[in-house]
Parts: sequence; structure tokens; C-alpha cells
Amino acid sequence: MALTKEDAVRQAKSDLAARLGVAEDAIKEDSVKDEDFPDAALGAPIEDEMSAQMITPGWRIRLRADGKKYEYRASRNGLRLYNYEGENYRV
Amino acid sequence: MNRHNFFGHLALAIAAVMLAAFMGQMRRMGDGPVRGTFVKREILEQVEPHAGPEIEAADAEDAEVIVRFRAGISTDEIERLTARLNDRLEDRFEFINNEAVIADEDDLSAEAVAAEYSALPEVLYAEPNYEINLSPVEDEEFLEAEGGDDGDEDDPPVIKKGRRPNDQMFAEQWSLTNEGQRGGKAQADISAALAWEKTTGSEKIVVAVLDTGVDYTHRDLFNNIWTRPNGMAPYTDEHLGSVDDRHGYDAADNDGDPMDDNGHGTHCAGIIGAEGDNSEGIAGVNWKVEIMPLKFLSRGGSGTTKDAIEAINYAMDRKKAGVNIRIISASWGSTARSRALGDAIKRASEEGILFIAAAGNSRTNNDRIPHFPSSYDLPNVVAVAALNRRDELASFSNYGLKSVHIGAPGAEILSTWPGDHYEEHSGTSMATPVVSGVAALVLSANPKMSMAELRAHLLDSVDPLPALKGKVSTGGRINAARAVRAE
Repeated sequence: MALTKEDAVRQAKSDLAARLGVAEDAIKEDSVKDEDFPDAALGAPIEDEMSAQMITPGWRIRLRADGKKYEYRASRNGLRLYNYEGENYRV
Repeated sequence: MNRHNFFGHLALAIAAVMLAAFMGQMRRMGDGPVRGTFVKREILEQVEPHAGPEIEAADAEDAEVIVRFRAGISTDEIERLTARLNDRLEDRFEFINNEAVIADEDDLSAEAVAAEYSALPEVLYAEPNYEINLSPVEDEEFLEAEGGDDGDEDDPPVIKKGRRPNDQMFAEQWSLTNEGQRGGKAQADISAALAWEKTTGSEKIVVAVLDTGVDYTHRDLFNNIWTRPNGMAPYTDEHLGSVDDRHGYDAADNDGDPMDDNGHGTHCAGIIGAEGDNSEGIAGVNWKVEIMPLKFLSRGGSGTTKDAIEAINYAMDRKKAGVNIRIISASWGSTARSRALGDAIKRASEEGILFIAAAGNSRTNNDRIPHFPSSYDLPNVVAVAALNRRDELASFSNYGLKSVHIGAPGAEILSTWPGDHYEEHSGTSMATPVVSGVAALVLSANPKMSMAELRAHLLDSVDPLPALKGKVSTGGRINAARAVRAE
């Protein structure tokens, strides 16, 4: 089923809370913006991942927790955490 | 910026400018034969005329650098660093290997900005993200010599001769016949109508679309989908045993059903070979062809090198079994290099299969940051950049004078989509099947042409474009009519 913007934000907050070991209400939403990403991996490929080279519309979701900023990228086909401690993650 | 930061920044900038002057001088001495002017991407259209052939440093405004940070540096930290230096983190660049593209916002040259970042303890290296551009004077001479369009938008559209299919949406397919529709430039196309006077394709040529699968039931595709011939044994996989590969193979799910659950592969397949002149939808570059769907990219549009290799191995197996696979179309990639994938493509070369691959959509120079599989230096690889409907390099397209070979239409491309739909999409993904389609068209008229001859022939058949000079090795856009010798 295709991911909606609202689903993506909800999943991103939940994922970040789990990663940081904090309550979801400790995760604040900085911004959610429409974005065209360069490929199906939303410009955030994980190791050994090849992706379709088609411009992919989606959303850039910026969250904040404990003074630090985090970025998620989503399209109708999935959600990714961008450059979390130097790595990209598929959520 | 506080006072302390300001003076620190100023001192760094002065040192960097001195270094840049020295580097610029060295570059002029070292790169003598190269013609063109390095300028930053965003101001390409505003660059001042420049009569000489020498290379110059990037314009100071919004210069860009590619920076590789040390492991463990977060986006947060990168943003803090860039903000401190009054720069901007460019988002479109694929973040891998801790590399990022950073745009300067305080009038320094690209060399100066690179020197700034190189001096930071968080950075492994930094280098200017150069772009080569021609001076307008050179562009005009180049066009005149090649007999090209001068691009004057006041000129009336040129209606070309040629064979037109009756497909309902053909008028929207600017890549095949561009008459200036939707702000395009007349003749900024692959001259398909002229090519079709000579050939419209052949069901004897098989093109493997290595992708997210293909909707082989699509009404504009199903007559051009490969079906395992009666009498040919099903594929036997070492681990799976016998696989009923009626219409191809799915290496992502390890079965014989390469149905597309994403859409991307169906779009690419339609560009190569949506049935032409059937009063339906669109026309492919080939009206008739055999498309072999190979799935290794998942519903999300990504996949592993292991599965890509497995699908390539399947294609080679079927070739050995007698299927006339001449081309693999690969509209995917990443900056991660895999020796195993390179070896698989090399084996395909030994089987006489041309491998046509997308250059990537990060707007970067593949000569500096390779993008695989298009950057493998192999005799069967053709790397494809994307053009828009005005014969300009698409804003997203990668390029590379050494490692990208040819340009093809890749922006706002209408093609098939699962469920008997049609959608318009952009990417070097869309440019790649245009070249794959032309390769198949050439083979339909010259079935005995070898892979090496085909590759050389495609690259020799381009329309030279000012926008591609210095950007791709041929300096031109694929031309189907010239490739099939119809003009």
C-alpha cells in the first residue's frame, strides 16, 4: 500500500523514538516539505543498494530530539533515515 | 557570524584564494588541449561570453565543492559546519561514503571553498565540483559546422518528413518527434520518424529490461513481450531448480514471474518497445521488438548487486539457449562499485550483449565520482546522460567527458505504466531505454552487426550538441535516423 505523507511522518517519529530510546512525544517536528529526490533510494542508498534512476517525488521530514536534528526521506514507496551517524537506513 | 568566526573565516579565505590562484595556474598548464570554460552549475545560462579556449576557475557566486567527511560525521554536524562557513548543503546529491555537495554563498571561488573544507579536521578531502561550459561564440561555430539548429525560439517549427504512427498520444512524445510542443525546441528529438521509413523494429531482436519487472499484460506492450519458445527448456537455477520463465525472470523474489510492482520497468519497456501504429497509447522507439522482463529491483525501486548479477546470469543462460538477446537496458545504479557486478557485465560482453546504463541523477561529474554500472570501463557499456525537450542537459543529469558517452531525451517522457496506464517521468532512467531502443532498431536492419560494431555505430551517429560538448565523450545526442542510415 502506498505511503502517505501523514503515515511517513508518523513512522519517522516512531522510528526515531525507538532508535533514541525516548518517548515519541520527545520527538519534535521541525519541517515536512515536498521534494523531488534523484532516485528510488531518495538519495539515501544503503550499502550495496542499486536504485532506479528516476526523479522520485516525496517528502523531506526534519525532526528534532534533545537539541539534535534528524532527517527522514519518504516517497509513496518507502521511508528512509538519512545520514544517521554516517549511515543511511531503510525504515 | 560572530566577530571571532569572521576573522577566522577571512584568514582562511585569503589563504585559500592564494592557493586557488596557484592551482588555477597549474590547471591551465596541465589541461592545455581541453576547450571550454569551467563554471558553476546554477549560472550556466548567465555566463558571460568568453572568446578563448582556456579553462577558467569557477565563477565566484554559488561555487560548489564535493566534500568527503570522516566517518561518523552526522548531517547535523555537516550543517553546523556549512552554516559556520556561510555555505549551503546541497540536498540532491546522493549521500554515500560520507560525501556531500556544498554550495558557497559568500562569493568565494570553488577552489577557495575546497581549500577551506580541506583544512577542517572533520574532512578527508574536498574538491571543486566543476562544470565545463562553452562560450556562446564557440557554440555558434560548432552548430554551424555541424548544420544544427541555432535554437532561435522565434523560428517556425520544422515539420520533418518521415513515417508517423497512429498511436493516440504520439503527439506528446517529444523525444521521437519534437515540433516545439510544450515549450520544446523543434527537432530536439532522435529523428524517429525518419528512421521508421527504413525500419520499425523486429521481433527477432530481444532487449532484456533489467529493472523492477514489466507489466507484460499492458495493452501497449503484451504483443512485444518475450515468451519462452515452445521447445525451449525452462530455466534451471542452481538453488531453485526448474523455473517456469514464461516471460522472463524475477531475481528479487527468485521465481519466474517478473511482473512489475513499481512501474519504473514498465515505463522503460514502453520507451524501447510500446507497440507502434496500433491506434493505442504511445509508440516505442521500436514498433516491434521482443522485450524480456528481468526483475531485480523491488517494489521500492531498489535492489542488490547480487540480484542484479543473478538476473544478468539468467540473460546469459537464455542467450546460450538460443534467445537472441543483444541488449541489456539498465536504468539504475549507485556510486558503490562492485567488482562482481563488473565481472558479470564483462561476461555479458563476451556473449556479445551490449549493456546500456544510466549515468545517474546527482548532477555530478562521473569522471570524478563514478556511478555504477555506467562507469565500468568495459567494451559493452554505454553510459547515457539525459536531455530535456530543448536539447539541454537535463538539470538533474550526471555527465562526464570520459565516462559518459551519449545523451538522449530523458525529461518529461511519456510511457507505459502498470495497469494499462501512461505516465510522464524524468531521469537518466528514461534516457537509457531511448538508446537501448535505437540499438535494437539498428539491429533490426543489420542483424549480423557485432556488439562492438553496434556500439561504435551508435556513438558515431550522434547529433553534436553544444550542451553536450565537454560533457559526454561523443558530444552529442543519439540520432535514430542516422543510426539506421535513413538520412
